[in-house]
Amino acid sequence: MNDSNSILKALKALEAEALDAIKTVSETDDLERLRITYMGRKEGSLSVLLRELSTLDSSERPAIGAEVNRVKDIIQNALKEKKSELTPADLIADSIEDLTLPGRFRWMGGIHPVNQVIDEIWQIFRGLGFTRVRGPEVDDEWYNFEALNTPLDHPAADEQDTIYLNIPSPEYLTSPLLRSHTSPVQIRVMESYEPPIRILAPGMVYRRDTSDATHTPAFAQIEGLVIDEGITFLDFKATLAEFARRFWGPDTKIRFRPSFFPFTEPSAEVDVKRQLTMRDGTKVESDWIEIMGAGMVDPNVLENVGYDAERYTGFAFGMGPSRIALLKYGVSDLRLFFENDTRFLAQFSRGPLG
Amino acid sequence: MNISLSWLRSMVSDMNIGIEEISGKLASRGLPVESIRHLGVGLEDIVVARVESVNQHPNADRLSICEVNNGKDILQVVCGAEVIHVGGYYPFAGVGVTLPDGLKLKRVKIRGEYSNGMLCSEKELGLGPDQQGIMHLKGKVHLGQILTEALAIDDVCLDVEVTPNRGDLLSHLGVARELAPGGDREIVLPEIPGAPVFDFEVKTEQSEVSHAEVSIRIDEPELCQRFLGVIVRGLKVGPSPEWLVSRLHSVGQKSINNVVDATNYVMLEMGNPMHAYDLKKLEGSQLIVRRAKDGETIQALDGLDYELNNMGGTMLLISDVSASQNIAGIVGGMQSAVTEDTKDILLECALFEPKSIRRNRGKLGISTDASYRFERGVDPEGHLPALRRALEVILATAGGKIDGPVMEVLPNSWSPPVLTLRLSRIEQILGVPFEIKDIERLLQPLGFDVKADGNGELSVIVPGYRSYDVTREIDLIEEIARTHGYDNFPDKMGKFRPTSVPDNPIFQLEDKLRNVLSSAGLLEARNSAFAPESEGVVELSNPISKEESCLRSAMLPDLVRCAEYNFARGIRDIRLFEIGTVFDWLSMWEFSPLEGLNVALVVTGLQRPPHWSEEINEIDLWTLKGLLEETVTSSGWATFSVNPKSEVIRSRAEVTEDNVVEEWRRTSKSYDPQLYHLGVHTLEDDGDGHYIRWQFVVDQLFVPSTALVISNEDGGTIGLAGQIDPNRIDAPAWAGPVWAMELCLPTEIEIDTPSTLRPISQFPGMERDLALLVPPNTSSKSIFECIRELGGEILEKIVIFDVYRGEGIGDHERSFAFRLHFQAYDRTLTDGEVDGSIGEITRGLLENLGVEQRI
Repeated sequence: MNDSNSILKALKALEAEALDAIKTVSETDDLERLRITYMGRKEGSLSVLLRELSTLDSSERPAIGAEVNRVKDIIQNALKEKKSELTPADLIADSIEDLTLPGRFRWMGGIHPVNQVIDEIWQIFRGLGFTRVRGPEVDDEWYNFEALNTPLDHPAADEQDTIYLNIPSPEYLTSPLLRSHTSPVQIRVMESYEPPIRILAPGMVYRRDTSDATHTPAFAQIEGLVIDEGITFLDFKATLAEFARRFWGPDTKIRFRPSFFPFTEPSAEVDVKRQLTMRDGTKVESDWIEIMGAGMVDPNVLENVGYDAERYTGFAFGMGPSRIALLKYGVSDLRLFFENDTRFLAQFSRGPLG
Repeated sequence: MNISLSWLRSMVSDMNIGIEEISGKLASRGLPVESIRHLGVGLEDIVVARVESVNQHPNADRLSICEVNNGKDILQVVCGAEVIHVGGYYPFAGVGVTLPDGLKLKRVKIRGEYSNGMLCSEKELGLGPDQQGIMHLKGKVHLGQILTEALAIDDVCLDVEVTPNRGDLLSHLGVARELAPGGDREIVLPEIPGAPVFDFEVKTEQSEVSHAEVSIRIDEPELCQRFLGVIVRGLKVGPSPEWLVSRLHSVGQKSINNVVDATNYVMLEMGNPMHAYDLKKLEGSQLIVRRAKDGETIQALDGLDYELNNMGGTMLLISDVSASQNIAGIVGGMQSAVTEDTKDILLECALFEPKSIRRNRGKLGISTDASYRFERGVDPEGHLPALRRALEVILATAGGKIDGPVMEVLPNSWSPPVLTLRLSRIEQILGVPFEIKDIERLLQPLGFDVKADGNGELSVIVPGYRSYDVTREIDLIEEIARTHGYDNFPDKMGKFRPTSVPDNPIFQLEDKLRNVLSSAGLLEARNSAFAPESEGVVELSNPISKEESCLRSAMLPDLVRCAEYNFARGIRDIRLFEIGTVFDWLSMWEFSPLEGLNVALVVTGLQRPPHWSEEINEIDLWTLKGLLEETVTSSGWATFSVNPKSEVIRSRAEVTEDNVVEEWRRTSKSYDPQLYHLGVHTLEDDGDGHYIRWQFVVDQLFVPSTALVISNEDGGTIGLAGQIDPNRIDAPAWAGPVWAMELCLPTEIEIDTPSTLRPISQFPGMERDLALLVPPNTSSKSIFECIRELGGEILEKIVIFDVYRGEGIGDHERSFAFRLHFQAYDRTLTDGEVDGSIGEITRGLLENLGVEQRI
C-alpha cells in the first residue's frame, strides 16, 4: 500500500530526472526515446505512477492527481521546446531568400465562350423549372417547316436559306436537311411527352449564309418551349423578362415588339437596354439590343402534334448564344469565336460549369 | 421597304410627330425601322452646273474633257460618263467639297489633264441606284442653284423591315394605316398636280371582256383571280415631272418615263403592281391570260431572255394572239413595252395567286417588285382605286384620253372573310379580359368590322388587304395584342407545374467532360460541322463552297488544322479539345443519316508552364494516355480497354473487301448505329450491291507505332489516339510532337449512381517492392494482370514506379519496379502472409511469362 507522500516524492524525483535528461539530449531520436520513457501510454514512468493512484484513499486522489497533471504538463512543454530546438536546419527550406519569385503554375484550360454563355442561360432557366432536350441536326421538311406551320410555298420559308443533303439512294423518301433552327425540337418533344412541358433545347443550326462579322453558316441556337393549361401572354412576358434581368442585370429594360414567326402567334422580338457602369462610375444606357424571337405557340403547331389546342396554350422562344456572347464580351467579329486561336480562348478561362 | 417620310405625312393629315417617335411607333407595331436616311444631308455644297462643251480626252478613250459652268466660273472637268449633253444641267461638286461617301474632292491631274471637281451620278450623291451615268437634271433648274433646292429633296427615307406575312405593308398606304390615329378612314391620298377630273364606267365579265378592238380573256381563273384593263389614247410619253422623279428617287426607285413611273408610283403608294402595254404592239389587240406552252420564250424588260418551257404546269403568261407579252405578275415583255413612240396604252391591274407566283419566279430565278408583292398577297379589293390613281397620274403627266370603260374580268366575285372571335379565348391566350368596346377601338382603325353576336362572341369582317394573314381567330387575337401594345400587358408569372420531360443526361455528360478537360489545362475549341469531301461521306446538295461540301465524319482533322493555325502564329504550347457532332450514312440498310457525339483533343508543347526551379518536360505519349483514360472514364463508357493498335489488328480477322461487311457487323454490335463515328467509310459498288471499305480518316492521322485503340466491352472501336504523323500536319521545325485522340461518346447514358462504398480498413497495410527483369515482347499489362491474379484478395494496389534499361541487365531486357500494397479489412497482416503472396506472384511470373525477379 502506497501512501500519498511516497507518490509525491516519486513525482518530484521523476520531474527532476526528466527535465535534466531532456536538457542534455542532443538528437531527435534520443528525445523521442525520452518521450516514450516518461510519457509512453503503457510503460511510461508517468503512466505507471498514475496507475498507482488507484491504490490511494479516494480523499487523497484529487490533490495527487492535480500534481501528476502539473508534472505531466511541465515534461510535455520541456519536450516540445527541446524538439523545436533540435529541429535540423535542413527541414526548413533554404531557398526562401526571394519570396517574389513566381510559384509553380499549371496550364489553365477553359470552356469555349459560346458554351459558357449557353451554360449561363441554362442555369437561369434551370432555376425557372426547365429541363434540357436534344434533337437531331439532320432533320426533314416536316419537322423543320411544315409541322411548324410553315408551308414550303410561303415566303416565310425563304427567311432561312436551308442546306439540304445529297441522298445516297433513291430509296430514301424524305429529303434530309440540316435544321435551320432549333424549333423542330419543339415538335419532337411534344410528340414524345404530354404537358406540362418546360424545356430548353440548345444545339447547332445551319443556314446557307456566307461568313461575315455577324454571320456564320453554322451557329448555336437555344430553343425554349412551355406548354400547359392556363399559360398566357403574361407568363410569356414575365418568364422572358425574368430571364433578361437575371442575365443582363436587374436594371435592364425589356421591350417586346410585335413580329412574325409562322409557329407563334402573337409573335414578338425581345429587346433589352442594358445599364452599363463606366470606369468612372457613371451609368449609361446601351441601345436597344435584339436578343430573341418568341411568341405564343400557334394552335396549328399544337394540333400538328395531336394536342388539344383549345385546352393547352404555351409559348416558345429562340435565341443565339454566339450573338449574346459577342455583346457580353464586347467582341466585334463573330469569326474570332471559331478561329480557335489559343490566345483568344485563354482569355475565357474560368471555373467549371455550374 | 423604303418609305418616304414626306409621302407618308402627305397621307395622314394630323401626324405632327418627329422621326424618332414615328420609328418608335412603327417598331411597336412590328415594323422596325432598319435605317433612317436624310436625303439632302451632305449635299449642301453640290450645285447645278451646265456643260458648255465636251471634248475627247487626248490620252484616254473613255474619258471626256468638259467645260463646266457653275454660275461663277467656267472650269475644266474630266468625266468618265458615256453620255454628256452639251447645254445639259448636271449636279457639280467643286474642289474642296466632300461627297456623302466621305470622298473629299481635290484638284487632280487625270491622264495629264486637270480636273476641277466632278459631275455626279445619283449613286454618288446617295439619291438613287443609278451609278452608270451622271445625273441629268431636267425640269426647271438654274445655274449655280443648290442641288437640294433644285430637286426639292429635304425628305427622309425610312427603311422599314416588313415581315413576310404582311404584304399589305409594302406600300405607303399600308404603313399609313398603322400610323394614322383614326386608321384607314382618315387617310387621304396626296393631290396629283394637274390631274384632270374624270370618270369611268366598269364593264365586268366572267371570262372575257372587250371594248372597241380590244379584248381581255382569262383562261386560268385559278391562277388569275381578277384582271382589269383600260385604254388610254393619244398620250405623250416623255420624262416625268420633277415631283414624280423626286418621289421615286426618295425611295430609291429610278425614273424611266411618265407612264412607267405612274405605274411604279401607284404600286409604291397603294401596293398594286401594274403594267402598261403599248396597245399598237399587241397583235390582235388581245390579252389572254394563259399557261405557257412548251418551248415558249420571252424577252423581258430586264433585257434577259427567259425560256418558259419545262416549268411545270403553272407558268402563267399574258399574251397577245401570237406571243407572250408579260410573265404574269413577275416581269413585262420588251416587245410591247412603253417607249417614247407609244401613243396608246392598255393599262393592266390584276390579281394573281400568290403561291404560283412564288413558284414561277423561283423557277425563273428572279424577284421583282411586282412578284415580291403578289407572292405576299395584294389587296383583292384595291384594283379599282389603284387603277383610278394611275389614270390620274398618267393623264396629268402624259395627257391623253381614256377610251371607254374599264374592262374587268372577274371569274369569281370576292367576299371578305368573316371570323368568329370569342372573348373567353382572348382571355385564355392574352391573360387579361378585353371588353367589346376595347376590341372595336383596337380593330376598327385597321379596317376590321366588328359586330357583337352576343354570348361573348363577336363576328369580325376582315378587309381585303388583311385577308392573307388574318384567317383565324388567333390572328385577330394577335391584332388585339399588337394594337393594345405588348408593353401594356403586365409581366405576371403564374404558378407552373413541374415539367414532364427529364433533363437529357447527354448534356450532363458534355458539361462533365468540359469540366474535366478544361481542368486538365485544355481550351475548348469550336469548329463547324462542314468538311471537305475527303473528311466526310454525308454530302450536301447545296453546299456553301467546295471546301465545305460534306458533313464531317470525325473531328480530329479540324483540330489538327487548329493546331496548324496556332503554330503559324508562333504558339508552341497548344492544348485544345472539342465536343461536337459527327455525321455518317452508317446504317446502309436503313438509309438514314446518323449523328454521333464525339470528343477530340490535340496537345503539344510543355507539360506545365516553364518554372525557374526545374526543367519542364514536353507532353509525351504518357500524358496523352493519362488524359485519354481520364476522358474515357468520365465519358460514361461502363467498361473499356486501351490497347496498342498493332495488337488489336492482330487479334481481329483480316479485313478484306470480301468480308468487310461481315467484320463490320461483328464489331459494331449488330450494326448498332451508336458506334463508329470515327471517320470515312467509302461506299463503293462492287457490281452487285454495296460494300464498305474499312477506312478511318482518324486512323490514318497517327504514327502507327504510337497508335492506341480504345474498345468497348464488345470489342467495338470507340476511340483512337496517338502521335499525329508529322507528314499529316504542317508544323514548324521548332514544334514538339503533336498528340491527339478522338472518342465516340455513348448515346445512351445512365446518370452516375454512387456505388456502394467500401469502408476504409482499420488495420495497417504493408508495402513490398518487386524488381522484375522483363524479356522483350512481354507487356507491362500482362505482368499487371498476372500479379493481380496471383496476389490474392489481400493485394490492394499495384503501382509501377520505375522502368529501367541499361547497365546490369540484358540488352533487350527491361527492369520494372512494382510497389505492391497489401491490405486486409479484418486483421493486421503478418509478414508470413505477405511473403506467401509475393512467393506466389514471383513463381507465377516466372512460370507464365518468364519474368524473373531482379536480385
